[in-house]
Amino acid sequence: MASTVEVASSFIEGAPPGELADVVADVKSLTSDGPDILPSLAPAFERYNETQLATVKLPGASQEVLITEYNKLEGNRYFDVESQTSFEVDHVTQEASAAQSYVLESQNADLIKSLLKSLGAHAREHYRNCSYGVYPIENDSAVAIVLVANRYSPNNFWNGRFRSIYTVPVSSSSTEISGKIQVDVHYYEDGNVALNTTKPINLSVTSSEASAIMSRIAGAERDYQEELNRAFVQMAEGSFKGLRRQLPITRQKVEWEKVGGYRLGQDISGGKGR
Amino acid sequence: MADAQFDSALDLLRRLNPRDTKQNVQAITSIVPDLTEDLLSSVDQPLEIRRCPKTNRDYLLCDYNRDGDSYRSPWSNEFDPPLDDGTVPSERVRKLEVAANEAFDVYRELYYEGGVGSVYFWDLDDGFAGVILLKKGVTPGAKSSGEWDSIHVFEATDRARMSHYKLTSTVILHLANESEALGEMDLSGNMTRQVEVDLPVESDASHVANVGRLVEDMELKMRNLLQEVYFGKAKDVVGELRSLSSLTEANKERANHAEMIRSMQR
Repeated sequence: MASTVEVASSFIEGAPPGELADVVADVKSLTSDGPDILPSLAPAFERYNETQLATVKLPGASQEVLITEYNKLEGNRYFDVESQTSFEVDHVTQEASAAQSYVLESQNADLIKSLLKSLGAHAREHYRNCSYGVYPIENDSAVAIVLVANRYSPNNFWNGRFRSIYTVPVSSSSTEISGKIQVDVHYYEDGNVALNTTKPINLSVTSSEASAIMSRIAGAERDYQEELNRAFVQMAEGSFKGLRRQLPITRQKVEWEKVGGYRLGQDISGGKGR
Repeated sequence: MADAQFDSALDLLRRLNPRDTKQNVQAITSIVPDLTEDLLSSVDQPLEIRRCPKTNRDYLLCDYNRDGDSYRSPWSNEFDPPLDDGTVPSERVRKLEVAANEAFDVYRELYYEGGVGSVYFWDLDDGFAGVILLKKGVTPGAKSSGEWDSIHVFEATDRARMSHYKLTSTVILHLANESEALGEMDLSGNMTRQVEVDLPVESDASHVANVGRLVEDMELKMRNLLQEVYFGKAKDVVGELRSLSSLTEANKERANHAEMIRSMQR
């Protein structure tokens, strides 16, 4: 049987967008250790923060920076390219501290800075609230492009998160971009409804210019959102309609007096009753 | 403490992915075993189907037709595996249950055009109570599927020439779709609504008609609500996260519009 720490860890990692604090409060109440369990859940918080692309504010700054597996340094330190800062993260409280100057050392530093600029322009065009980053990965042979957009409206019982991650190997000629887009929406007024999507992305670009790469990515994101919008309509018209009719084919509601009494309507149920 | 833990468990289940409710209930009860009974009776999960060995008809399993490890078939009134002393409704309430099963069978055929349904009634000191269960699954494409589970629990309390009905309805709706262009899309969840009403009762037959109409109206309301939340609200939130059209263009247009209104007011 799974241990308390394993169970509690799975709850932490399953927290929907914007509701980690609520899940933590429930976990504390459900475990006999109460708040004392939190330190043992640190690895789960770390996995949650990195996969969900958590954002933290740098000490004394209003700007939000990302926690991902791509900008990780030693220990619990991460770096941000734009602000040229590295910082320590408390994964449980999602707070950043001990900021230090950090100068990016990468042979692709120019590409990374151009990508950040193009990505920033793309982000302003399509995301009302988002954070993004570009980092060198795989021994400086590739770059990771990461974007997360969150919208939380707990007063209206909904929260949402859009994540996209792309890896781009750096070469002189053509570029193969691979990655994925994930959308999670949670609606919980008098219920619990979740939308979870994952879309793998594979693109080729005949240029290694930042603007060409970003324009291809922007196109793929647009295509995906249009496809997702069509899928909502298809589900409503397909599966949903096939499950339960709005009204019987006769457009008449059930005549309960005829089917519900002790003289049950054998004439109505016909052969279907069996 | 126990009440607070129960509330925390319900809050947690309302937040974690509704697709995993069954596993999450098991996980919670593995760390707080005392909550097992309360959670199993108050958290709705997708219904399981079993074939009645006596009538060869399918029926649905829930906490209300369970006694130990056995389940009572609404068609035969017998437990499977057999029980000598399984709890069955009184003769009067069983008659009502039989009538309700026949009535909801017609209802199911008219609205669901298939699927499985079961109605279970039990006696109360001042009336009776029951649960109406309906389940249907569809697979319109190789990689698209849908599943609907309705769970309507009611209490009918006797009053003079009237009965007071309290109905709590939950619909669990799972939808999934997968394709090359779309990737994987999963839209799942459950919604619950309650209604209380006094209705005239002339004879026992009135109960079946009253409960029937209550459930029919509730399901119509909930179907509309689910449609709004699943295909309206969820899509709108995606649009809040990411705008298909250019935000700078939209902001420019908004500014122009505001400027035009101001100039007209001068």
